[in-house]
Formats: sequence, structure tokens, C-alpha cells
Amino acid sequence: MRHLIPEFEKMKARYPAGFESSLVLPCLRRIQDDRGFVADSDIDGLVAYLGVPRVQVEEVLSFYTQLRRKPIGRWHVQTCRNVSCSMRGAERLIDHLRKKLGVAPGETTADGRFTLSTVECLGSCGTAPVVMLNDAYHENMSAEKVDALLGGLE
Amino acid sequence: MGGRKLLMTFPVTATSHTLADYRARGGYETLAKVLREKKPEDVTKEVAASGLQGRGGAAFPVGRKWQVVHLDDGQPHYLCANADEGEPGTFKDRWILENAPHLLLESMLISSYALQVRNAFVYIRGEFDLPYRRLAAAVEEAYEAGYFGTDILGSPFACDIVVYRGAGSYVCGEASALITSIEGKRGYPRNRPPRLTVKGLYQKPTVINNVESLSNVTGIVRDGAEAFKKVGTPKAPGTRLFSVSGHINKPGVYEVEGGYPFADFLRNELGGMLGGRKLKAVIPGGISAKVLTAAEIEPLPLDQPVFEAAGSTLGSGGMIVIAEGTCMVRLLQVMLRFYHHESCGQCTPCREGMGWLHRVIDRIVAGEGRLEDIETMHHVSRWNDGTTICGMGDAAGYATVAILEKFRDEFEYWIANKRSKCNGVLEVGNA
Amino acid sequence: MPEIFIDGQAIQAEPDQTVLQAALANGIFIPYFCWHPHLSVHGNCRICVVEVEAKGGSWLDISCNMPVTEGMHVLTDSEEVRAQRKAILQFVTLNHPVDCGICDKAGECTLQDYHFAYNGSPSISRDAKVHATKFFDLSKRIVLDNERCILCSRCVRFTREISKSHALGIENRADHSLVRPAEDRRFDDDPYSDNVIDICPVGALLSKQFLYKARVWYLEPTPSVCPGCERGCAVQIWHRRPEWRLNALDPRQNAEIARVTPLENPAVNGPWICNKGRDLARIFERARAEQPMLKGKPVELAAAIDAARRLIDEARHAVALVSNWGSNEELAAFKQALAGRFAASFVKRDRQPEPGERIEDDFLIRADKNPNTAGARALFDDAPAALPDGADLVLVWGEGCDFGRLPRGAKTVFLGSYLAPENGHADVFIPVSIQTERRGSYTNFAGTVSPFEPCFAKKPSVADAETLFAALAQRERATA
Ligand SMILES: Cc1cc2nc3c(=O)[nH]c(=O)nc-3n(C[C@H](O)[C@H](O)[C@H](O)COP(=O)(O)O)c2cc1C
Ligand code: SF4
Ligand code: SF4
Ligand code: SF4
Ligand code: FES
Ligand code: FES
Repeated sequence: MRHLIPEFEKMKARYPAGFESSLVLPCLRRIQDDRGFVADSDIDGLVAYLGVPRVQVEEVLSFYTQLRRKPIGRWHVQTCRNVSCSMRGAERLIDHLRKKLGVAPGETTADGRFTLSTVECLGSCGTAPVVMLNDAYHENMSAEKVDALLGGLE
Repeated sequence: MGGRKLLMTFPVTATSHTLADYRARGGYETLAKVLREKKPEDVTKEVAASGLQGRGGAAFPVGRKWQVVHLDDGQPHYLCANADEGEPGTFKDRWILENAPHLLLESMLISSYALQVRNAFVYIRGEFDLPYRRLAAAVEEAYEAGYFGTDILGSPFACDIVVYRGAGSYVCGEASALITSIEGKRGYPRNRPPRLTVKGLYQKPTVINNVESLSNVTGIVRDGAEAFKKVGTPKAPGTRLFSVSGHINKPGVYEVEGGYPFADFLRNELGGMLGGRKLKAVIPGGISAKVLTAAEIEPLPLDQPVFEAAGSTLGSGGMIVIAEGTCMVRLLQVMLRFYHHESCGQCTPCREGMGWLHRVIDRIVAGEGRLEDIETMHHVSRWNDGTTICGMGDAAGYATVAILEKFRDEFEYWIANKRSKCNGVLEVGNA
Repeated sequence: MPEIFIDGQAIQAEPDQTVLQAALANGIFIPYFCWHPHLSVHGNCRICVVEVEAKGGSWLDISCNMPVTEGMHVLTDSEEVRAQRKAILQFVTLNHPVDCGICDKAGECTLQDYHFAYNGSPSISRDAKVHATKFFDLSKRIVLDNERCILCSRCVRFTREISKSHALGIENRADHSLVRPAEDRRFDDDPYSDNVIDICPVGALLSKQFLYKARVWYLEPTPSVCPGCERGCAVQIWHRRPEWRLNALDPRQNAEIARVTPLENPAVNGPWICNKGRDLARIFERARAEQPMLKGKPVELAAAIDAARRLIDEARHAVALVSNWGSNEELAAFKQALAGRFAASFVKRDRQPEPGERIEDDFLIRADKNPNTAGARALFDDAPAALPDGADLVLVWGEGCDFGRLPRGAKTVFLGSYLAPENGHADVFIPVSIQTERRGSYTNFAGTVSPFEPCFAKKPSVADAETLFAALAQRERATA
């Protein structure tokens, strides 16, 4: 985490003084982007850097669903299953992905390539069903399209 | 086509979101004029006179909220644009973030001037990727052009902005939870009083408005409150962005002038029902709005007071259109799973109630329902009514009761026959 | 002073009060779980709901976060309020195990009390309860039962606002939320941690020392003063009620400290104490000296007193080391009866900080680990580094004396309470009672005098210092 401190310093410049606590969430996001998850040593580093109570960081990590403390597969396949997506075939799509990847939501394939997750509404209901592959939205998905999407990945 | 437009006034192209294009459309001229010619309180007066109502869900008058802030209280004030867009069925703010980020930024600058805000924030949901990148790029463009920072456009006005990304929590769209989240903590909503305009971010007066609400400010200040009030209906002036999804041919984001008939909207803009199906019901304003049956909604104009009188709301403008053949039991199951997942767990009725409702509906769907379960769900919902810290428990309760009441036969059928009256289907029309 | 009306009764409220505070201050009870008079308002349990009546209609809201406003009308027992309270109790008990039969909190549990007072009806739920961790190791001293926890956040707020250890938090969300300690286990080092056991409204936080030791209704509290440092926190020492004396089982339990809890005293400790104050058994239940002795030879108490009196009579240059664990009354008795007979009387510091103990902080804990230094100093001088060489008799009262450094050849009279090698070397050893066996008072560092009451009876062979001093002062034995 230490190597990110220059970036954190830049980020801090646009916050008012006394907003150190606010940096917890953006720093954790940045750490996760960097490492793929937030390690215990990152928590220690962040606590020392920001001077916030450790328990605050632990609470935040457990509260926000995007943050994680364990590594996952190289490709994170997150499929929306809220109302609008389900109305346009998300449930069938999830079944398809389960079979295709051979894992249940929340699990990672044995080769460490894919982690399958279900998520609630991604704010893209007009182009349902939606699959989020790592950071990017893929909209109007179908079994065929998802096959094509995942087919080309390492 | 849905009446006059105030926001979707330009063709979307590969560059329409950039500063250059925005300027070509007259962008940041209103800011310059305001800084040159207007006092902060004049701006607030104009916004109040326009009758602009919040577009985040509660339809609270924007000007009334702003007027609580005392400009000379010697404290810092903060402004947050709510771009959390978490209400299922809602994706309209995303349109603004992706296609008109500078409209939001100019509006926030004008609003910050009105409220004497030195530091403004946009709280954007963590999953949004393109909207975030577009907005962040626009912020950099705006800084470079001197719209943010100090001595903005040669005036003494100074303002900084931070785009703050969430990390996966629906409740953080609730204004006080949003503030707790920007404070770097778990997103717990707060009790009122104190109001956020009295004690908000770091206990300082804070105004939170939805992205769409704020984006209307530039136009109102540019063209005047009177011009704005000429659009829409007297009690709900202006236009609304509707994000429409579900069993229709042309889902998407539409700007509609208040008062436009729903039936015309469905036929003309939305391209009618998928596969020519019949309309069964509509959830008009995000899943937390009470469902309306086809018969209830078909005669209505898209006007907030009218929808309130009909027992629902246009809420966040997230309209979910449901075709005949859809199983409302399964639909409620999906909703309750969501609420259970998203309850922050802070206050007793919602923390315990959401899990309770979710377990009961799962049991009904598993064929182990009892008739009294319907009563239990009614109780649990009602016990959340007005008894929670934030609006989530309430809203989940209203939404549940509406579906239970209007489609009770489907629940009774499933309980009696251990299967769906509609084959448990949510996806209809294109299959 | 705003006037408000609660259940029709006019009440003069303080302007900064909430409705809950105004009601409680005027003898009207509104139930509360999460509210605590010394913690910030979180308003999460929702049990303190009241009905506000206004022209346009009435509404329910929580009273712990409701500021009083002039002329407002509030109902605390309307049909609506009663119904909503029942509803909240339905929610609170939904996933609560209701295992009161094996819960240490039973008998003093807010949830039990409220359920009895406001609900009384069984759960309408037919679904299995959500299970959570039982016996979670929260700290060296505390176990947590997450199933019993009602997530009121009092314990969390305590560590943030009072002890400032920031050692507890709430993880996850919805009904998966769990109270958890910071992973660096700093709660182990929070010297005030056990207060969370008291403020937990249910039996979720349990003292490991007290776990399954007693049903609280067999116990009674005696007001006392913690002797752990010169703060002198007011405490309750809990012990077996006389009417529930154990005869068949180990009867020693009848005279044991079951637990120690704070006694609220705004002038000294507020409602809190430190963990040392919880551990008074470690001080008071050390092996007791109960046998009077002359140079290690057991004698009757009367014989030991005679011998001590004779030594005092005969001494030409007697010096006394008085105990700063003596009560004000004992110290005064010594001064009045004996001080004139001693060339000098000095205050001894009976106890020093123990290894690992927090020395002092800006909350309660003070560096002087004795309860009555201030009371003793008001009457006697501080002990010098070395006693005068000419002393031919030293009376040592209490612990903490290095006998090796007493003037050579001086006789010793030792008044002690615990077994120690020195006892047998003293020319006269007289066992004396301890704080839990007598009445008295201490003066704390700030001059506040706090009384304590006896919990247990002393043994007949043990003297009370206060009467002992009078006996030692008699010059000629009338009966000799
Ligand atoms: C559970 C919950 C979630 C909410 N989510 C959002 C949201 O994602 N976006 C939003 O603008 N408002 C949301 N709101 C409404 C906000 O609390 C607030 O009323 C709104 O942002 C105020 O802006 P407006 O007056 O301009 O509408 C939510 C409210 C609740 C109770
Ligand atoms: S209503 Fe639900 S989401 Fe809102 S504060 Fe209470 S528990 Fe949290
Ligand atoms: S452990 Fe006790 S004090 Fe802490 S949150 Fe749970 S019920 Fe409240
Ligand atoms: S602070 Fe001092 S007096 Fe108070 S409980 Fe602790 S040791 Fe005892
Ligand atoms: S329901 Fe899937 S994106 Fe909204
Ligand atoms: S005591 Fe008021 S909400 Fe808990």
C-alpha cells in the first residue's frame, strides 16, 4: 500500500482540511484496484496513514459489497438479478453461467480464471440483462453473447 | 414526443459530453452571468420560485431545502449531488453523467454559489464505470478551464469538487447515509432531527440533491423561473427523466413533460408492450413505489400529484412495465431479497423485518406457505411504516403491501397449490 | 423553560432536553434500549416511540431523539404507542434465542422486563431463527453471544465516546450484523472494557469471571468504594443474599464477592469503573491472616492486644506507620487514641502499581493505587525515606512495609490482614479486618468522601482497627 501514498496525497488535495476519515473509502478502492483485494497489511498501512481507528476500516470493508478481503478470480462475472434484469432473462442467464463455468455464484473456477457473482440492480435496467465483467458493463446480454464475451478471455 | 425538453436538448454524439461541445451549446455562460450579475440569494429565490421538486424520489421542493441554509452563519456549507442511482429500475442520472456531465457541473457551481459552498461532492455509485469516467474527465476539463478552484472566472468565488465513489450499498443513496459514507464510514443513515441542512457532512449544513434535480438549475437560472413553470403542470413543473424497463419494446431514458398521458407514452415512446402482450401492472417510480395495475395507470397523466392521489408516486422515475403473465409472487420475492440484502441493519424494524419478509416469501415459493403468511407479511410491512430511521424500511413495506393487496389471488393460489398461478415466470414476451 | 404535556400532565422541561429525558426527569417512564444517559443518541431500537398530537393529526416517533418544543402534546401510552411497542418487541425477539434459563442477565435484563411489561404475547413468526455466534471470544474478559445481541450499539458507542479505545464495531448488515472487536484485539487492553457488560441491555456481553456463577436474584449489592486507586470509585459489591445462604454446597460462597459493578456517583466516577474495580476479589480474597501471634506463636487475640499495649507503654521512642487503606474513622481513632503515644506517625503507601497495570489516564485511573491517601495525609505526615535510628518500637499498620529497613533492634507491632512471612517475625501480630467486613469512608484525591458498608462478618479472632486502637491506648490495665 505504501507505494500508493503519493497518489493518496494528490487525492487529499481536493478535500477540505480535516477530511482524513473521508479518504478511507477511496483509498480502499484504490488498494483493491491495485492488489485485487484488501490485505491485512493494507489495513495496517491505511490506519497508520490516515490515523483513523482500525475498526472503522474493518466495518467499511464488511459493509460495502464491492470491497473484499480475499482474492478472487482474474475475471469477475457479476450478473444482475434484480427485477428488471430478471424480467428480461437474467435468471436464465445465471443458470447458463453456472453450467458453463461449473461454479455457483460466490465461487471461483478451479483454474482461478472466473469468479461468478450475482448482484442487485446495477442501474442499467433499460439494457437488461446486464453482466459486469470486472469494471465494465455488458448490456442486453444473452447466453450467446456471454459465451462470446467470456470465450476470448485468458 | 413527450412534450417539451429541458435536459435532452441535443443529439448524443461521440463528443457531445465534452467541454468543447458543451460550450458550443452555450455551456458555462449561465455561470459567468451569475457570477457577474447575481447575488447568491437571488439564485436561491429563482430556484424556489421555479417550484422545482426533487427528482431523487421524495419530490421535496428544492428551493425550500436550500432556504434552510443561512448564508451568514459563519460555517462551511457543503453540497452533494446524489448520483447513487440505486433504486432498482432507475438509470436516468446515468444519462446525465454520461452525456451531459458539464450540465451537472455548471449547475453545481451555480448552486454552490447560491449556497456559498466551498467544497462540493458528487456521490456516485461504485459500480458505475463509464459514468464515473465521463464525470471525472469533465471535472478535470472544468478545472483546467478555470471553472473550479479559486477566482473562478475572475470572480472571488472559489469552489472545489470531489467525485466520491461508493462501493456497493443501496442505502447510501439515502441522503444521510450518503453523508456518513462520504465521512468514510459504513453507510448508516441518521435520525432527524437534526436536518442535514442544519447538521450534515461533518456536522456542517449540507444540501443534497439528486443529479437530475441539480441539472435543472442551470436552465432555471438562465431562462427564469417563469419559463420553467410554463413547462409541465402547475403543481409539478418541468420535465422528468423516466428510465423505463421491463416488458416493453423500447426501454430507455425518456424526458417527458409533466402531464403527458401514460397511455401515449407507452404507445408512442416505449413502442408498446413486448410481443404485443397486455399490460398487467406498472411500478412507476422505482421498486419502492407502490405498484399500479393496468387499469389504475392507463388513464393517468404523468404528473406527480396525480400519481400521489392514485396512491403511488413517480418517485425516482424508474418505471418498470409488467406484462400479463408475469408472476407477482416471484416479483415480490426478488424485491424482498433485495431489501433484505440492502438493509443497513441499524434500526430494529427494518433489520429484522426485511429478513423476516424474505424468509416468508421464500417459504411460500418453496411450497410451504400458509394462508396466515399473507397476514404476517402485512403486519411486518405495516410495522415498518414510519417507524424506521430512514425511508427504506417504510418504502419496502409500502411496496410489499401494494403487491399483496393488488395480487392477493396469486399468493393464495401459490399457497394452496404449491405452485405459481403464472408458472413462476418473470421473463415474458420475447420467449 | 418550555412547558410540554405528557399524557396530559404539564411538565416544565429544560430547553435542551428530549421528550424522553423530560419524561424520565418527571417520573414518567418510557422504555428504551439503545438510549443511555451518558452516550450519544443513536435512536436505533425504536422502542421509545411516543405519539405526538398536533392540529393536523398525530404521529408516532421516537422520544429519545425528539427535542421538546413549547406546548407540545405527547402520549406515552396510547393504543397506537402500545401497538407499536409490541411490534418492536416482535422484531427484537424474532431472532433472539430467549434462552433466559441459561442467561446470566436473566433477572436484570431489560428485554425480559419490557417483554413482561409491554408485550406478553408469543411471536407470530413461524420461521426458524437466524443463528449467529454464541460464545464469541470478545476479549480476555468478555464473551459475546451474538444471538442475544439486539444491536443497540451501546457497547460500540462506549468504546468510541467513553473509553476511547475504538475497540468494537458492527460488521456486515441487515440481520447478519454482528458486534465484533477490532482485529488487533485492542479490546483486551481497554481497562474499562467491562462497563459494556453492565450497559448491554440484554445478556449478550458476559463476564468470563461471572459466567454461570450465580443467578442474580440470589445476590444482593452492598455499596462500597473501590480501593484500587485514589479515585475511589463508588461500587456495588455483590454477594449472596443471607436468605439464600448455601448450606449444602460450598458454604465459602456465602462470603465471596460474586461480582463488582459501578455505583453511579457523579462527583467521582459517573456510572463507570475500571476493570481493576471489577477484580476486587483478587485483592480481598487473598489468603487471610486470622491468627494473632507473638513472634510467630499463636495466642488469643486478647493476649496479643495485651502484649502490644505493653510494648507501647514501655517504648521510649515509638514510631507508627499508618495505613492509607485505613478508613477515615480508623485513622481518626488512631490519631485520637494513640498518636500522642508515638514520637511520630507517618502515612505509608500500602500498595504500588502492579506490573502491566495502567498507571494513570485522563479518565478515571489515578497513579496512587491506594484509596485513602488524602484522608491519611490530612492527619499525618508522609513517611520519610528512612525511619529515625533511635526508634525502639515500630507499629506497622497494613501492607507495603519493607521490614528489612526498619531501625535495627526496634520491636515491631504489626496489624495485617493477609498471610505474609512478616507476620510471624513481628513481636506482636494482630490480624485486622478488611474493608468488606466493616463500615467506614475514604477521602479521594479530590476531597470527596465516600462511604462503604460491610458485606461479610469478620472472624472473632480478627480485630477491627478502630476499636483496637482504643484498647491499645489504655495505659494501666484496670484488671491487672
Ligand atoms: C433507501 C433510499 C435510497 C435512496 N437512493 C437514492 C438515490 O440513489 N438517488 C437519489 O437521488 N436519491 C435517493 N434517495 C433519496 C434521498 O434520500 C434524497 O431524498 C434525495 O437525494 C434528495 O434529492 P432531491 O430532493 O433532489 O430528490 C434514497 C432514499 C432512500 C430512503
Ligand atoms: S430503515 Fe433499514 S436501511 Fe434505513 S436505517 Fe433502518 S435498518 Fe437501515
Ligand atoms: S452486545 Fe449488548 S450493548 Fe452491544 S450492541 Fe449488542 S445488545 Fe447492545
Ligand atoms: S479507577 Fe481506580 S477507583 Fe475506579 S475502579 Fe479503577 S482502580 Fe477502582
Ligand atoms: S435490474 Fe439489473 S440493472 Fe437494474
Ligand atoms: S431508545 Fe429511542 S430508539 Fe432506542
